[in-house]
Amino acid sequence: MSRTFALQARRFGAVNWIGCWSLLRRQFKNGFSDLHYTILGPVISNALYLLLFVIASSSLTTLDPEAIVTFIAPGLVCFAIAERAFEVSGANLIFDKHERTHTDWVMAPLTPTEKAACFALSSTIGGMAVGIAVALMTLLFVPAAVAHPGALLFFAVATGMMHGLIGTLLGIWAAKWDQYTALHTFVLLPLAFLSGVFAPVASMPETAQSLIAFNPIFYLIDGFRYGAIGEAAADLRLSVGVAVAVNAGLFAWVHFWLRTGYRLKS
Amino acid sequence: MSLPRSLPQALAPRHYSTVNWVGLQTLYMKEVRRFMTVATQTILAPMVTTLLFLAVFVLALGHAVDKVAGEPYVAFLAPGLIMMAITQNAFANTSSSILISKIQGNIVDLLMPPLTPLERTIGLAGGGLTRGLVVGVATWVAMVPFVPVSLAHPGFILFHGVMASLLMSLVGVLAGVWAEKFDHMAAITNFIVTPAAFLSGTFYSAARLPEFWQGVAHANPLFYMIDGFRYGFIGHADGSLTAGILVLLGANAFLLWLTYRLFATGYHLKA
Repeated sequence: MSRTFALQARRFGAVNWIGCWSLLRRQFKNGFSDLHYTILGPVISNALYLLLFVIASSSLTTLDPEAIVTFIAPGLVCFAIAERAFEVSGANLIFDKHERTHTDWVMAPLTPTEKAACFALSSTIGGMAVGIAVALMTLLFVPAAVAHPGALLFFAVATGMMHGLIGTLLGIWAAKWDQYTALHTFVLLPLAFLSGVFAPVASMPETAQSLIAFNPIFYLIDGFRYGAIGEAAADLRLSVGVAVAVNAGLFAWVHFWLRTGYRLKS
Repeated sequence: MSLPRSLPQALAPRHYSTVNWVGLQTLYMKEVRRFMTVATQTILAPMVTTLLFLAVFVLALGHAVDKVAGEPYVAFLAPGLIMMAITQNAFANTSSSILISKIQGNIVDLLMPPLTPLERTIGLAGGGLTRGLVVGVATWVAMVPFVPVSLAHPGFILFHGVMASLLMSLVGVLAGVWAEKFDHMAAITNFIVTPAAFLSGTFYSAARLPEFWQGVAHANPLFYMIDGFRYGFIGHADGSLTAGILVLLGANAFLLWLTYRLFATGYHLKA
């Protein structure tokens, strides 16, 4: 009496939901194991930035410290989202490659689209968690400001997703921590710092203004600030367009690398 | 395998004169090579971050600041930022060296060699001191194209640079000995070292603060480092220079003694 089971490949529907959910949980377990460190650190350093600006502007200038803090606070929240989102996917990937545990998800029956989406989503959620914590901290300095909730949410998600995808690309490309931190310090951090987080673009020298127009992070922060306090330096439609286009481009790039197995399957 | 016919002549402990120069040099060079091999992260990265701080504050506030202490804001800010880079890196060098050794288990390489506690203190602190000064010089050089740099009193620059770097590298040794996990070190950096550096007159003139905050500033040793260091560049100090020199000498003497005692007793190191 023998029954034969067909030994064929297991089939999934259009989306392997269980696989996606597992990969997401894996990302979070790695990123959220030390909460006080990942959330409290940014909260404190951003509180220090705000405090510094209050003290410096009130003791050195005739500017209204409240106006300055109102302007800077949304930028800092957006910046905190970006940093954390970048770290969730980037640091996880490098760690995986070092420990050779990336095979766990390279081998799993997930399509490149599913993998890329999971990386982007986990980064976005991780970034938003830190962003919310930093936003609550800013309430110590400024009253809550939500001028356009839709824009706020859109640019928060766009920021988290974009940095998650950049982190994924860097994590796939970098062979060592050195390369990863070097690109972060020498490329991403300057782009973020010089994107109008701390000063209105209009107050900058003209060369700086025209250079900033090429910095995608500027549009994200500008749009986010519009969502919070209703002020924008760039045309909102342009900001939305840049956010969508850059995210789509990065997603396609991540998808391509995951599909070909660049630096992952060798 | 045959046994050696004769044993080495003297199996007595090796004797050193007053100072084990070879050992001291080895420890010092180990500490220096440790950060030089990753110079991109340990020298170039702090240099870039410091320049970014300069750019951000000058862009955000520079246009609205008339003059601080008779100088343009950027000239006032630059020495403070250089000092901040020195202190943070001196601290990072010694603290991470000891903590990583403890976690990886190769701290015995520091504890077993025939070095006296004083030699250990000097070798480690010397490494941190060097890192702080190298970063300070690198940051200063990078700033020269952007900042009108004057050198009013080079002696003060040197004295405060060395004293600050030494002080923070000794604090780093203490933190490294005390901490058991990276979390502990992150907590010290986030809650003590960074706030102390940020709120010590790097970005603003303490003389223009409300009285309460002036008092807070004067209780912070980092205030005296920055103030005296800045005096060396622009020739203006907010606080008393004599008090600053005494505070730095006193604090360093105390920390050297404390570190020496820790190594001598093996606190947190020799279970």
